[in-house]
Amino acid sequence: MDIPILSLLVIIPLIGALATLFMGGQRAEKAKYVAVAFSAIVLALALYVTFVGYNNMADLADLKESYVWFKAAGLQMNIIFAIDGLSILMVLLTAILVFLVVIFSWHEEDKPNYYHALLLAMEVGLMGVYMAQDFFLFYIMWEVTLIPMYFMISWYGGPRRHYSAIKFFIYTHVASVIMLIGIFAVVFQTQIGAEYISFAFEAVRNGATLAPAFQTFFFGLLFFGFAVKMPVPPFHTWLPDAHVEAPTGGSVLLAGVMLKMGSYGIIRVCLDSAIFPDAMAFWQPIMIGLGIFAMVYGAYACIAQNDLKKMVAYSSISHMGMVLVGMGCNSVIGIEFAIFQMFAHGIISGVLFMVCGIAGHNFGTRDMRLLGGLAGKFPVYALFMMFGFMASLGLPGLMGFIAEFGLLFGLWEYLVSQGLEVLIVFGLLDMMLTAGYYLWAMQKTLFGKLTDKIDLTHCHDIAKNEVAVLAVLCALIALFGIWPTLALDFVMPFAGAF
Amino acid sequence: MIGILDYVWLVPLAPVLCFVIAGFFGKKTPQGGGYIAIAGALIAFIIAALASYDYFTSDYYANNIAYTVEMEWMAVGEFSINFGVYIDTLSCIMMLFASFISTLIFIYSIGYMDDQGVKKTRYYAEVSLFLTGMLGLAVSSNYLEMFVFWEVMGLCSYLLIGFWSFTHPEGDEAAFRASSAAKKAFLVTRLGDVCLMAGLFVLLHLFGSLDYADIFNFDIATVDSNMLMVAILLMFAGVVGKSAQFPLHDWLPDAMAGPTTVSALIHAATMVKAGIYLVARSYPIFIHCTDAMIIVAVIGGVTAIYTASMALNNMNIKRVLAYSTLSQLGYMVLALGAGAYLMSLGIEEGEPELMLLGGAGYAAGIFHMINHAFFKALLFLCSGSVIHAVGTEDMRMMGGLRTKMPITAYTMLIGSLSIAGIPILSGFWSKDLVLEAAFAPFHHGLGAGSIFMVLFILGMITAFMTAFYMFRMWFMTFCGEPRGHCHGESPKPMTVPLCILAVFAVISGLFVVFDGSYYILESLRTTIDTVIPFHTGMEIVEEIFTAIPTYVALVLAVVGIGIAWKLYVKTPYDAEAFKPENHGALYNFNAKRHYFPELYNWISWKFGAGVAKGVNALDVHVVDGTVNGLSNAVVGGGEGLSAVQTGYVRDYAGLVAVGVISILAVFCLIFLYGGGF
Repeated sequence: MDIPILSLLVIIPLIGALATLFMGGQRAEKAKYVAVAFSAIVLALALYVTFVGYNNMADLADLKESYVWFKAAGLQMNIIFAIDGLSILMVLLTAILVFLVVIFSWHEEDKPNYYHALLLAMEVGLMGVYMAQDFFLFYIMWEVTLIPMYFMISWYGGPRRHYSAIKFFIYTHVASVIMLIGIFAVVFQTQIGAEYISFAFEAVRNGATLAPAFQTFFFGLLFFGFAVKMPVPPFHTWLPDAHVEAPTGGSVLLAGVMLKMGSYGIIRVCLDSAIFPDAMAFWQPIMIGLGIFAMVYGAYACIAQNDLKKMVAYSSISHMGMVLVGMGCNSVIGIEFAIFQMFAHGIISGVLFMVCGIAGHNFGTRDMRLLGGLAGKFPVYALFMMFGFMASLGLPGLMGFIAEFGLLFGLWEYLVSQGLEVLIVFGLLDMMLTAGYYLWAMQKTLFGKLTDKIDLTHCHDIAKNEVAVLAVLCALIALFGIWPTLALDFVMPFAGAF
Repeated sequence: MIGILDYVWLVPLAPVLCFVIAGFFGKKTPQGGGYIAIAGALIAFIIAALASYDYFTSDYYANNIAYTVEMEWMAVGEFSINFGVYIDTLSCIMMLFASFISTLIFIYSIGYMDDQGVKKTRYYAEVSLFLTGMLGLAVSSNYLEMFVFWEVMGLCSYLLIGFWSFTHPEGDEAAFRASSAAKKAFLVTRLGDVCLMAGLFVLLHLFGSLDYADIFNFDIATVDSNMLMVAILLMFAGVVGKSAQFPLHDWLPDAMAGPTTVSALIHAATMVKAGIYLVARSYPIFIHCTDAMIIVAVIGGVTAIYTASMALNNMNIKRVLAYSTLSQLGYMVLALGAGAYLMSLGIEEGEPELMLLGGAGYAAGIFHMINHAFFKALLFLCSGSVIHAVGTEDMRMMGGLRTKMPITAYTMLIGSLSIAGIPILSGFWSKDLVLEAAFAPFHHGLGAGSIFMVLFILGMITAFMTAFYMFRMWFMTFCGEPRGHCHGESPKPMTVPLCILAVFAVISGLFVVFDGSYYILESLRTTIDTVIPFHTGMEIVEEIFTAIPTYVALVLAVVGIGIAWKLYVKTPYDAEAFKPENHGALYNFNAKRHYFPELYNWISWKFGAGVAKGVNALDVHVVDGTVNGLSNAVVGGGEGLSAVQTGYVRDYAGLVAVGVISILAVFCLIFLYGGGF
């Protein structure tokens, strides 16, 4: 009997979430052991799937699982899970990050059972989104990620957590409703004449051809829904607020994997040339333009921040802008490195948000004006912060550089084809600004005189579990930076089709 | 052939392993990992030497072929980016002098950094990585791989310049200055680096590959010449950043905030030499763009004199040396630019005479780089020895040290004579060849001859200034009455490397006598199809001693030394004479580095922090304000979003209801009008 591995990737965290959820009272302390066990099983399954793909990408397709979920009233909704070159890195990333976040949050004392239940519930939604091959399932899973994150922020967040949580919810919910309109329109329109209107990706792809004007309009709705999630300015203001208030674990998952749902959706749906063969003629320059704008705008906003975590949040906007540029190129290089950047940013932003979180709970503040000279007293902390910042600013040898090089080269190729070579200047400006804000932040927090504005006498350097988690992430950053083919081999079969 | 060439990748690998070992376990070893770093550098040097010997005795060398081994690193769309080694004479030269000088500097560090306690581990790990960057750059087989190591060096310079950016021995103020200097070094060189990266985009676009072997064998006549010029200029912008050419030179004087050994490493063995290497390596494409080469030469010539002028009245012993490095780097770029210019015309017109002169210019640039590596390492380590003994970098607090630390004094004298261009020391030969290369275009009546004539004159004036400021430094430090406290001569680990380097500062110039240019030109012969004639060592010697400019330069140098002697030895020391307020505007303008730091700050404010403030205000008030205003209008006035904070569970339920209803509405609408589009 074949084991339904892909379903297990969704079901196991679901069981884990329910199990931890009901571990109230005395047993709440033990919830973390349950959470670590379940997330470890998911990680093991994800690694198994990765090795299957590593040996032969064709074997991955055999893992596909397909069940009819609802078939009545002329509608057919399916539970179809599959993994291809686009989703495999995202699935792996989700499994790695959730597992590491559980370990990172080992000493969470405030209702730990709910905390871990929320983490695992998020994993359910994320795995579902990245594996779903049916529009309705995709949408359900999309919404499933939203609710745990909402509670994560509003229960475990900072002083303005309710405001931020509601803002996060409204923003992304409005966006997903608009996305849903797009989904319905596309599904119904392509299934005209079918006995059952099927929501399966495959059915939509093989369905009727859409009129160009229809494509352009509903591409826009879907794109808007996804772009808010990424987020793309000017629809980004929920992100800094959500990050500032969210607990560290929530932030890591929010930036590391949830933002990628937006770019994943764009590649999966909008850029699918079977569904939208003509829409890019209209949307391509807009996507490139918005991407460039996001890169530079996000980088400038970073420079002005005093809160370490807010700066990192804006840097996510800037880096996801780069992903948008790659997707906008709609070329092999653009898609290849957009996916790689999604993976790279997921791991790097994990380090960044953990470092910011440690500043918050070890030193009591993340305000760069109050910090200073930490490197002398907390060398391990300084090392990880520097590593994360260097990785994020695209230091060669680390994985951020590979993504940056590929994406900017993809942009360059696009600009050459349009005769707009000079616009590459914005890409270069972004690289300069990125180096600028990270170096400035390091100078303000790590170097110079040890701050006397806050009391550091009883502060200790990073805890052991945090060191372990950060070391694993840093090792991955170096591994994929030195040996990018390891990840690109998965991506190439998918990106090669563009 | 002894088979070591196939293991040449071990050259950068040895120090990177030492970086890891010293970083993790250095604390447990004597000298905090110092011996591990020395071992790494020494092993790298030995393998480099054996591999070079292997290359020179191999068929590759005999047939003018570079030794290349590559494997795919990653696929960028349809392009393939490789990782591998590319060995020709130029790589051999770079590997050899970088690893040799680094070994000496690391040995010296045992003495110099002895009192640094636990920080030594970090120091030795980082310098090992620094050396890895340089050696990796030297053996790289393509531009992107080179760029990786290029940036690794950028990182290491950042870490090492900022070595004391926290818990500085001189206090918090100095720590802050060190961290600023490190940041400045990284950002200013990064400006060049991003341009270089854009240059690589253009190269990859034009040639479909970044491999040296592919690009150099490409039929360049078929590529878009305007695009090629853009690529070359962008790559040169990278050189301007890394090798600190005008107008991105100002990070290098600030970089003196790091330990002196780091300065020696940056100035002699690594970092700034990377830019020169890039120009030399890219010669096969640079020579296809005559106009760009004039720009290269002009930047070099201007840098040479402009930065030399700033050394004239500087009081800090390390800063004087820093400016002298800038100035000498200008010489190298000038020679390489002039050589490429000559060669580009030579290829265009099929003129062997111009090819010969161009080749001579190329050889002069490389040759000066080698010689400079030796005497500049020597000078920096000497200044470190002085600083170690007197505890200050201010030359006004030194004086009369000659008797107290004779080894340092006389080895530094050798270095100063060498850089000043006194025969038969190494600096004399290469500087003369550089000036000759700058003079050649005018001499042969070429199109841009008058520009090169000006550059030649600037070079001559620079030679005079160099002799003056170097001996001003030497006299102020070692002659006259003692003006401060001194511990006496430095320990053996420091003085022995000084003596070894002094020997090389004397003899390395003799390389030219033994047909040095021929060997240097080998790397061009492997890549350029046209025959490159060359002069034998003896012909070059004969040329040097029969040319008038040689003697003019020599007289200028001697006059420079004489004036320095008159001002700083004959005239008794007068503290008043060194106070800025007793001098005119020009003196102070010069002492303030022509307000370049202020210019950089202004630019970073204009294009960075200033805009950022505006963007942030826009973000908070306009973008977020609109959203909140909109939601206020929708929710129905009042506090809007913030009102939701109260009783949020109820509102959340309400929101979900709104969501569900809207979904259902959409559902129905589309269901009803499903086929309506």
